[in-house]
Amino acid sequence: MSGITGAAMSGYLAYVGRRLGQFLLVVFIGINIAYVVTHASPVDPVEQSISAVTSYGSTAPEAIEQMRNSLRELYGLGGNPVEQYFQFWKRILRADFGPSLSAFPTPVGTLIGRALPWTVGLLAVSTIVAWGLGNLLGGLAGYYRQSRGLKLMGVIAMGLHPIPYYILAMLLLIVFGFLWPVLPISGGSAMNLPQTLTPEFVLSVLRHAILPALSLILIGVGSWFLGMRALVSNVLAEDFVVYAELAGVRPWRILTAYVMRNALVPQVTGLAMSLGGIFNGAVITEKVFGYPGLGSLLVDAVYAGDYGLVLGVTTISILGVSIGVLAIDLLYPLLDPRVKIS
Amino acid sequence: MRCIRALLVVACAFGSVPALLGTPAVAQGLPQNIPRKELLILENPEGTVKNAGWFNIWTINAGSQSNGLQQAALDTLWYIDPESGLDGVWDNSLASDKPQYNADFTEMTVKLRSGIFWSDGVEFTADDVVSTVTTQIKNPAMRFSAVLASNVASVDAPDAHTVVFKLKKPNSRFHANFTVRWGAVWILPKHVFDKVDDPVKFDFNKPISLGAYVLHSYDPDGKWYIWQLREDWQRTTLARFGKPGPKYLAYVDPGPPEKRVIAQLNHELDVIHDIAPEGMFALAKQSRTTRAWFKGFPYGHPDPTLPAVIFNTQNENFKNPDVRWALALLIDIKAVAMAAYRGAATISAIGVPPTGTHPATYHGPMGEWLGAFEIDTGKRRIKPYDPTIGKQIADMLRPAMGDQIPSGPAEIARAFGMGWWKTDPQAAQELLEKAGFSKRGGAWLTPDGKPFSVRVMVEGDLRPVMTRAGTMIVQLWKQAGIDARIDVAQGTLPTRRAAGDFDTFIGWSVETWGGHQDLSYFLDSWHSQFVAEPGKPQPLRNWQRWSNPALDGIIEQIRTVGFDDPKSIELGKEYVKLAVKEMPTIPLMAYNVFTAMDQTYWTGFPTSENPYTNPVPNWGNSRYMFVKLKPAN
Repeated sequence: MSGITGAAMSGYLAYVGRRLGQFLLVVFIGINIAYVVTHASPVDPVEQSISAVTSYGSTAPEAIEQMRNSLRELYGLGGNPVEQYFQFWKRILRADFGPSLSAFPTPVGTLIGRALPWTVGLLAVSTIVAWGLGNLLGGLAGYYRQSRGLKLMGVIAMGLHPIPYYILAMLLLIVFGFLWPVLPISGGSAMNLPQTLTPEFVLSVLRHAILPALSLILIGVGSWFLGMRALVSNVLAEDFVVYAELAGVRPWRILTAYVMRNALVPQVTGLAMSLGGIFNGAVITEKVFGYPGLGSLLVDAVYAGDYGLVLGVTTISILGVSIGVLAIDLLYPLLDPRVKIS
Repeated sequence: MRCIRALLVVACAFGSVPALLGTPAVAQGLPQNIPRKELLILENPEGTVKNAGWFNIWTINAGSQSNGLQQAALDTLWYIDPESGLDGVWDNSLASDKPQYNADFTEMTVKLRSGIFWSDGVEFTADDVVSTVTTQIKNPAMRFSAVLASNVASVDAPDAHTVVFKLKKPNSRFHANFTVRWGAVWILPKHVFDKVDDPVKFDFNKPISLGAYVLHSYDPDGKWYIWQLREDWQRTTLARFGKPGPKYLAYVDPGPPEKRVIAQLNHELDVIHDIAPEGMFALAKQSRTTRAWFKGFPYGHPDPTLPAVIFNTQNENFKNPDVRWALALLIDIKAVAMAAYRGAATISAIGVPPTGTHPATYHGPMGEWLGAFEIDTGKRRIKPYDPTIGKQIADMLRPAMGDQIPSGPAEIARAFGMGWWKTDPQAAQELLEKAGFSKRGGAWLTPDGKPFSVRVMVEGDLRPVMTRAGTMIVQLWKQAGIDARIDVAQGTLPTRRAAGDFDTFIGWSVETWGGHQDLSYFLDSWHSQFVAEPGKPQPLRNWQRWSNPALDGIIEQIRTVGFDDPKSIELGKEYVKLAVKEMPTIPLMAYNVFTAMDQTYWTGFPTSENPYTNPVPNWGNSRYMFVKLKPAN
């Protein structure tokens, strides 16, 4: 017995090693692609800065060239591309993305650190709630196909799913921010409230998160619901479910232990991908609800040609998605006996 | 029935969430613990400030400028108002008098006010002005370093209230650097910056104020800033005009246009900086308390900025003025005004914005010259100016807008502008033929036989009004057989504009003081000495890269006359005539800013009837609004 376990374990460890190697390769390639794409951008951060400074002021033309040279030196844009590339990797390995060019000299890490908790808080919670609710209702709807209530849920899910997110978000804004103005429509917390862990602040954060979270959950639930219902329908036709029914296993046990557990496997993969993807931020949510987060930071950085900041956010996103997928790949053989390590 | 009950339960559950959280049914977006009647809430058009805790405005683009910092907390020597001003257009702020130049404009002496204090109790003196200059010259990465270093040979303070600038070369407009038109070189506190090792890396948080307000609190995520009236506000320059009305100012990021409308309808945003024409029309219809610059149509405040079709005159196709004129005569300005602003535009045929003092100084007096102006199409001479186009736009809108459209000629001219160029496809064709172009199969070919292709660069949804104008112009040119295309540059426009990577774009290279008739604010930068070689970056503002010996002559003469010298107006008119003849850009209209002001809590906002300042809240000049605002009953 112990010999078999040991062989299985050694096979698993070899698999983990291979998978970790793939993970590192994917991260390396992803960051390199991000580096090339950002540096190929036609937006010049120096010109963007000069434009921002001189848009309204009476700066004399002869001063511009001097300003241009000062900024190139300040932003570290001198040197040949190869030197810049190796400098970049040196900094990345120290988890240092350098200064933001559009908010110089504030470090990119500081800007990301400020936005990250808002993004993770909003998107992680709404993704998990939407996933849990969608799968639970979808599983029930797939199993209890004759239930009128669950049929109605299916209609609602199918109705919500194709609505463009922006329209739904604006609808929520108009209903709860204007027609019946009971919820805040902007910001992460109330104005003039110190960001300290007081009940007042926490309550304010929760209230401000209701509308953006609701918009994400309503859209997300529909998608998980429909996916799970279809998966359950397929599993119901499997032999082991038929045998369980013939053997007189109680329906609730069949649903939870036989049907949903098996149907959940691809959904867990989807959840891991979604959770990894939250590091991209939710640009439209942040813009519509004025919610702080990484998405707006990324978009502003792209417009400003701030490639330090763009690389910072994309690197975190690459790591997030890769780690999510890696975690699922490593856990599958342990969770699902149907997955064999060759 | 069960379904309906279930739906009602769901609806009640939804509704109970805010109730459970103890939420009142109104006023969701207001600062906590500040009485609303003491608070003025304004939009900061910079949006969310990503580097929220940075207040060192003397560094380049590091933090916010219009979060209240330049409007409420900073000060400098002079302000020139784009409108009439509280006590004249040119206000001596920290300076007690106008700048005194020597005969050849190589020295400028400034007398300063006494009794002005920083918010930490230190008195403002000439040393602060000297430090503002020397600190920035010493640090090339500071914002005004280059302009000061290229001008100032030395700066001294012979006494606490006198500053003497010795200049490296004659400059009759050097004071413009210390004169607010939106912003300027702000005076920094010497006693603070003297203790700083590296001013480029100093965040100036918490800022010391020289203006009437101090920072009260701000959002680390950059969504809002609150400023509080200084207890010693009487020791600031604004006190000359009385006590500011609002005790608190909140500069906020209210989000996209739809939310700005909602926030103002909920009375949670007193001043919207700018909004699309449709948003302004919605507010005018739905809110009884919203007021814009004009009481009715066209609502918006015309900024002293002149959107135009800007040619790249280094491009072979646009070197010839006949071609530029032909393209101008293919434009139907009424269609462009309707497309861009739904008609709420103030048009200008000449290279000066139709706002502030300019209509009285330039547009009106030059009407006769414009009416007599002729161009030679190669086959005949035509008089292209039509003085009635502003009236035609008003007449076109009147059936839909009714009484909102003014009927008096003076009001129409103020609201919609005066005349523009007649649409004349036949004359355009003759001009193109004169320039060696030919038309085959309905399509125009350049003199070397290639299709006459014109890209019109716009910023897309970053500046929708200009994009709509550009799209309409493309359509008009296409109808005439030109291979015109829209070129959406989005955020790359500043880079491409500087690089000369465009045929034409919709933007502006003309900006003026508005309230003062001197044109050197933009015109000096049009001298050929600043025109870059093709392929090299062009410094502001001569984006059209147009050089002309006659223009150089005018600019050089302006440099030798004083800022207030009436001769500069005559020279300004010479520029206008030359620009009409040469058409280096096709002037379109003022940049109308739809600033919407809610009078629920505050009254006394600047309007076209009471034009004491610019209402646009990101301008440094908007500080004059604070002393005129009174709580509404």
